[in-house]
Amino acid sequence: MQISTRQSGKATIVDVSGDIDLYNSPEVRKVLLAALREERAPRVIVNLREVRYIDSSGVASLVEGLKVSRELGSRLVLLGLSQAVRDVLELSRLNKVFEVCDTEEQALRS
Amino acid sequence: MPVLGLGGISAPSLLCIRRDTCGLVAEEAVEVTVRVGRATLDSLAYLGGLARLGGRAAYFTFVAPWQGRRLRLDRAAHQAMVVGLQALPILSLITFFIGVILALQSAYELRKFGALHYVSGAVAISMTRELGPLMTAIVVIGRSGSAFAAEIGTMKVTEELDALETMALNPVQFLVTPKFLAMVVMLPCLTTWADLMGILGGALFGVAKAGFTFTSYLRSSLDALYLRDISTGLIKSLMFGMTITAVGCHEGFSTGAGAEEVGRSTTAAVVMSIFLVIAVDLIFTALFYFTGAH
Amino acid sequence: MPSMTDEAQQNEAIVSVRDLRLRFGEREILHGISFDVRRYETLVILGGSGSGKSTLLRALVSLEKPSAGEIWVKGKNIAQVSGAEMDEIRKKLGMSFQGGALFGSLTVGENVALPLREHTKLEDLTIQIIVRLKLEQVGLAGFEDYMPSQLSGGMKKRAAVARAMAMDPEMLFFDEPSAGLDPIIAAGIDNLILKLKKAFRISIVVVTHELASAFLIADRVLLLDKGDIVALGTREELRENTHPRVRQFLNRIAEPEVFEELDYLQMLTEKHRPRRR
Repeated sequence: MQISTRQSGKATIVDVSGDIDLYNSPEVRKVLLAALREERAPRVIVNLREVRYIDSSGVASLVEGLKVSRELGSRLVLLGLSQAVRDVLELSRLNKVFEVCDTEEQALRS
Repeated sequence: MPVLGLGGISAPSLLCIRRDTCGLVAEEAVEVTVRVGRATLDSLAYLGGLARLGGRAAYFTFVAPWQGRRLRLDRAAHQAMVVGLQALPILSLITFFIGVILALQSAYELRKFGALHYVSGAVAISMTRELGPLMTAIVVIGRSGSAFAAEIGTMKVTEELDALETMALNPVQFLVTPKFLAMVVMLPCLTTWADLMGILGGALFGVAKAGFTFTSYLRSSLDALYLRDISTGLIKSLMFGMTITAVGCHEGFSTGAGAEEVGRSTTAAVVMSIFLVIAVDLIFTALFYFTGAH
Repeated sequence: MPSMTDEAQQNEAIVSVRDLRLRFGEREILHGISFDVRRYETLVILGGSGSGKSTLLRALVSLEKPSAGEIWVKGKNIAQVSGAEMDEIRKKLGMSFQGGALFGSLTVGENVALPLREHTKLEDLTIQIIVRLKLEQVGLAGFEDYMPSQLSGGMKKRAAVARAMAMDPEMLFFDEPSAGLDPIIAAGIDNLILKLKKAFRISIVVVTHELASAFLIADRVLLLDKGDIVALGTREELRENTHPRVRQFLNRIAEPEVFEELDYLQMLTEKHRPRRR
């Protein structure tokens, strides 16, 4: 799994690629929380386009990020979900909880 | 309980080839020999099993943490509470009584020589060297040794041990190690407490009947004691702790199928622990006697 | 994931059993059986009591050592791997036991969290979220702080499934999921298995003697009788199978009397097995 962040205007975009599993999800969590808590980004976009598999710990990390973003009054947006990731979120009934966008422009504007 | 299980083992027919020609007595003699041999082998195998279990528990306690495996201190602390702190009331009462009894018994003999003031020394030495560790062990066997066997035995019957294994958790590391650590720490502590309560029990008699004041009794007890007396008792208690853990857990692991088997394991754990604790006591007492310079 | 087409992955064996024999002392329970569990399929091992089906399942998760033969799980022969390698394989599989086998001294939530706490470096909050997700998935949301003894039989099994799923396994094993449950609760467990099968890309092996349940959840059914495989195939293939034992087993619903007599006869004449100690 690879993870990197970049700025686009006021938003921070977190690009993740590969599989998110039990052993690397703590890194996703760390990057997310750092962007929200330390950089105080008003909008964090998690780009999951290149993610083919996400397990429960990955989902849990996203949930934690969402909770922190709500507390801080910023926004967490998921971008470009593959079908596999979409299935996992739907199964956990989280597809309605997260803000999901298909394109980067959408995610930046919405 | 193979050590005690002399009866009920039939000799293999191979060894009774000469049944026709042998007299009844000779046949009996062969059978008895075979039985004794079997029982000896069973006992050795049992002791081997205990040693293996104790060794693995010691490995997970002392070696594995240095190799990056986590030692769960929280679980050990919980066990220590159950094994140690909760045993204090009953242990205090029992060893206090034992102290009084010791004082009465030694006074019975000492009175004849008009040496009643030696009562404090007699009680202190008997308590620290022998009865403190032993009574502590007996109380801990009754409270914890049996509980270990029951807990692990129940887990075996309900497939919880299998569940641990399928979760890639080692049952010895997960279940035995915290108990082992708790016992190795708590038994010497409890023994020290038991020694103290025994001496207090002796003081009750000393003050009431032997002309001591409370402080003079304590001072006289301390004067009679050498550091060696206390360390001897503590080393014994350490060995008792390991023995009780190994037997309790071993009996738990060897529980068969069904709830009644848990009861059997628990009983076996108690009987076997008492037997082995006394055996260990004998070995160490003899060892200290022959090696101790006076 | 490997660059295979979905179809190739579908037919790939995740478990391969080859000529497996297993004996307890004198008595041989499994007489040299061979079969595969394919990736993402649900295989139901069906058999009467004494057929060796539970022993087979225990062998698949390495709780029993084979006397002969091979069991390949994810490309490793588990009859020969080291303890450390077996542990790595076991982290990828979940097992739900007959009675649940929840740890009585831990709450339901702690039970589910246990493998995560022991095997991963996840934060407590992350683990807590995973635990709640898993309990939600098995329909036990809100029962996190209950002790196992406070749960009914069906709820215990659901909690056990949540625990088996905690590490997101690739394989899930069920030992008699409906045993000891009333028909309605048992149907609920069947539905749970169906739901998991649909939602997760996961291989499921279920051991059961319940015919209806087997035909509801299985992609393929393996019929085991006295330690031998009598039939192995899809539900349709099994229905059309003409082997007398298969017919006997499948017609059990229509003619229960015949079968009870056979079971009774087997019970009366079965070889006495001394206690193992």
